[in-house]
Amino acid sequence: MSDFWARNRLALMGAGLLAVILLAVLAGPFLTASPIAIDIANKLAPPSAAHWLGTDFFGRDVLARVLHGGRATLAIGIGVVALAFVIGVSFGTVAGFAGGAADMVMMRLVDAMLAFPGLVLAIALAAAFGPSLENAMLAVAITLAPQFARVARSQALAISVKPYMEAAMAIGVGTPRLLLRYVLRNGIGPLLVQASLALGGAILQTASLGFLGLGAQPPAAEWGADVAGNLAYLRDAPWVALAPGMAILLVVLSFNLIGDALADWFNPRRRAV
Amino acid sequence: MGGYALRRLAALLPVLFLVLVIIFHLTRFIPGDPAVTLLGPGATDVQIAALRAQLRLDEPMGMQFLSYLGGLLRGDLGVSLKTGAPVAQEILLRLPATIELSVLALLVAIVVGIPLGVVSAIRANTGFDHAVRLVSLLGVSMPAFLLALVLQLVFGIALGWLPISGRTSPFFLDDPVTGFAVIDGLINGDGEAAWDAFRHLLLPTTVLAAFLAATLGRFVRNTMLETMGEDYIRTARAKGLPERAVFFVHALRNSLLPAVTVVGLKFAEMLGGAILTETVFAWPGIGRFMFDAIRNRDYPVIQGATLVFALMFMLVSLAVDLIQALLDPRIRKRMAS
Amino acid sequence: MKFGKRQLASLLGIAALPKGATAQSAAARNRILVVGVNADPAGLEPGANRAEPIGSEIILNVFDTLVAWTPPAFAQLEGRLARSWTVSGDGRVFTFALRPGVKFHDDTACDAAAVKFSLERTRDSNPFMRATFGLIDAIEVTGPLELRITLKEPMPVFLSLLAQPQAAIVSPAAVARHGAAFNVNPVGTGPFRFRSYRPDTDVVLDANPDYFRGAPRLARIIYRVIPDASTRRLELENGGLDLVQQNAQLAALPTQDVRALRGRAGIEVIEVPSQIIRQLEFNNSGLQGPLRDVRVRRAITHAIDYDGLLDGVLGGTADRVYGPLPSNSWAFDPAIRDLAPKYDVARARALLAEAGVQPGQLKLTLYSFQGSLWGAVATFIQANLAAVGIEATVAQTEFPALRALHVAGRFEVALDGRQPWYNDPDAHITIGYLSSLADSAMTFRMPADAALDALILRAQTTVDFEARKQLYFQVQRQIMDRVPAAWLFSNKLIVFKRANVKGLVVNSAPPLNEYHGVFKE
Repeated sequence: MSDFWARNRLALMGAGLLAVILLAVLAGPFLTASPIAIDIANKLAPPSAAHWLGTDFFGRDVLARVLHGGRATLAIGIGVVALAFVIGVSFGTVAGFAGGAADMVMMRLVDAMLAFPGLVLAIALAAAFGPSLENAMLAVAITLAPQFARVARSQALAISVKPYMEAAMAIGVGTPRLLLRYVLRNGIGPLLVQASLALGGAILQTASLGFLGLGAQPPAAEWGADVAGNLAYLRDAPWVALAPGMAILLVVLSFNLIGDALADWFNPRRRAV
Repeated sequence: MGGYALRRLAALLPVLFLVLVIIFHLTRFIPGDPAVTLLGPGATDVQIAALRAQLRLDEPMGMQFLSYLGGLLRGDLGVSLKTGAPVAQEILLRLPATIELSVLALLVAIVVGIPLGVVSAIRANTGFDHAVRLVSLLGVSMPAFLLALVLQLVFGIALGWLPISGRTSPFFLDDPVTGFAVIDGLINGDGEAAWDAFRHLLLPTTVLAAFLAATLGRFVRNTMLETMGEDYIRTARAKGLPERAVFFVHALRNSLLPAVTVVGLKFAEMLGGAILTETVFAWPGIGRFMFDAIRNRDYPVIQGATLVFALMFMLVSLAVDLIQALLDPRIRKRMAS
Repeated sequence: MKFGKRQLASLLGIAALPKGATAQSAAARNRILVVGVNADPAGLEPGANRAEPIGSEIILNVFDTLVAWTPPAFAQLEGRLARSWTVSGDGRVFTFALRPGVKFHDDTACDAAAVKFSLERTRDSNPFMRATFGLIDAIEVTGPLELRITLKEPMPVFLSLLAQPQAAIVSPAAVARHGAAFNVNPVGTGPFRFRSYRPDTDVVLDANPDYFRGAPRLARIIYRVIPDASTRRLELENGGLDLVQQNAQLAALPTQDVRALRGRAGIEVIEVPSQIIRQLEFNNSGLQGPLRDVRVRRAITHAIDYDGLLDGVLGGTADRVYGPLPSNSWAFDPAIRDLAPKYDVARARALLAEAGVQPGQLKLTLYSFQGSLWGAVATFIQANLAAVGIEATVAQTEFPALRALHVAGRFEVALDGRQPWYNDPDAHITIGYLSSLADSAMTFRMPADAALDALILRAQTTVDFEARKQLYFQVQRQIMDRVPAAWLFSNKLIVFKRANVKGLVVNSAPPLNEYHGVFKE
């Protein structure tokens, strides 16, 4: 693995960035003020010694909200993508590998789910089960899963016609092993790129739900909801929306850097380039 | 090939049915009684019950679904609970605005994204590559509504170059022929109106295209690099083919295959994103129409608009499959067998 | 509902537009007023209007009513299509003499038969008006320009209802011609004629040069539909809009916009007190647990930092509401100001302790509508309640979903609002607090209470003004004793306009602008 880091400066940067963010988000909340304590007389104060990132519309410390909100946001991103990844990839890999009628039927189901505008499905689910962070996450995961299925299937389809697959089948490698060791292992590059993108996408889409009022509920701190909720003050007090916005940007950036490098690592042919 | 296309087309029908079943039941899942919403404040229970009966909301779900399907076969999508106008007409009225926006955004994304990805791959790990990667990373990490607001502030307010909302200036009372504002302006010989409509398109198109262009750029770069490691590329190089030919004849063609899939997938996402973009830019399209319908519990409109989105997506997905089959001889062969 | 090709054409606004209609000269543009609104009108049809603000305003500019509120105070009615009227001593018979020579936009005459036609049409087709216009016994045409309306029982609010958009006078000939499509082809007598409607885009009205009160100074009004509040503000600053209408801001928090636009050259902010009420309300006929104890409800009313809410969160864009009526209502009892709960954390804690509620013991779901205004109020009140040991979870919900929960009685506490659609205390009191209406929408779900019901009905039907006022004083105190809600604030009606727009008078209740006298410099 040390070989991996040595080869991938960008991945190292991404991992370092992520480590700093994780440390801040995990330890930070013990060191800052309450993210929900209202001090209305001190609202929308610019950054100062007392409030490093200023205060929001209710006079709450923006730094405290960013640090607390990070826990929720990271949990959303990772949880949503993990769920969507497991559902989507297993579905798509099996379909692409099996081919024929099974592939047809499975992909029609995926098509039907995909054919729904994601936001509509999310709105409907969130509205049906009530507005809360958990429901928003579930909804986003369901809308993301078909994408993984499609890409996984595409990969499986391309890989299953490769010579090394024919060779493996000829020497009698069992199906589960074939799926995991050959199809998934060789096809994981684009899937990881997809996952790293989806992490950002999941956070952004949850933010969109927040923008539409279906995500995290006040007064809870969450980056997406805090960006959406504070857009109205962008012109008068830019730090309130920009701080969580930049936090989203940085964390998505770190995931993407790591994802790119992982894509290289998992692909033996590209390592050789 | 033709047989394959037909088979795929036929396979769309069960998907369509599945979509209809899901959407019909999902809309009924959304809490809130349309009769209560329609009557507004001050309505009594008797009035609400009467309206429910009139809208056939009191019938069993199965019956409602059957009568909906029956209407659908006759091209009848029902009547909007809010406006009382036929849903099909309401949708047709708004469809051009959304198509105009999303197709232009798609073109922009392809024209910008793919070349950037290709050049970035050719010049992997150069300054250009890093710059492209950074910009595309920012592109996929930026919330659309934030980007929209920033563009409005910069180009609409600070620089004053572009209009910030709407499809045409209010002073241009348009004369719809096709429903596509730019084309209508040209048909009517009114260059000023066409220019006005085009200027209105720029900012929402940029917002909608940004994410897709960045995604495509990243994807094409990665798959290009990956393809470069494939055996046949090595063979081509070994045969002494010029690097340029290796790239454009072999690598690019085979990298575009997965890119087509990504375009198809992201196009659907882009249509979903149109809901936000259309709201921020006051764009009278179908995304915003559907969002309003969800808010108003206007079931027939939600169903109709979702159906249209689903159809658009299915057609794109079909096109993706066909293009893939055309591009990749191995898959083509497998499909034929 | 049947739609022919012609109706569709008018729906699309094609029929009304000449070929190649194009840009206007600068001078012509200066006679066009562009108004920003947040949504399409729900309809332009008095016979179906449900007090939805945008459609109502357009109706009042395209049509006329028999009577209208006199600006700028809007405290007295004046004749509009009616030249004069008399009311019988028992308050049941109204006799009107109409203004002669008034024509509809389709050139047919506006006479007593048209008035009878319009009012009966609304009575029969508008469920919103059934409760009130249902009390009309007969409308008799006694001459070409004279008519007599008899009520089944006295209804002091009847005249003010006649000033409402639902009571606008429509052209019977146009109704016959357009049928169901009259909704998008409104023909009235008003200062502006309907020109076109493009869904999700705009409504265009052209001046009526033959208007009986004189031609309007504007040549055209364009209502532009822009759903997003920050886009509306940007368009106003950019000059793309001349005016942003108040109703467009009721769901969005206007505080920062007002503060920013107040100081900006070229833009003026008009703020007018309204009769809108926003409150934290209890599920009064389904109270559960500690909330059944009036002391607990009272504790909640003392836990709220009203000044902090009004100054801090709302930044002076709202007025305090002390009880069931806003303080600018003629029936508001000034003594209520002192009876109203004051922010007092110690008192709230003491009341809770007295009722045996330990800190942290009471957990509530606080429902609220969506939009930044409601979000901000909910956030603030959540913190207020936390400070006295009540744990509230905020749930911001779409309007129809919350309305459904409300009507079904499936909530404990909710932030809600009431917007009176006619200028009378009845609009707040009867619908809000009559226990027999508890299960319909927009009520406080009052538990069965014969004494209070009787008092409310007496106040509703008493003809003598002073006696009626005293009855409403009693009603307000009676309601306050029961603590059905913590009344919070009344949004001011806020209009942002370019400074060159002159002559606008903003009506306080209901919030509708007339553009007859408006012009651009």
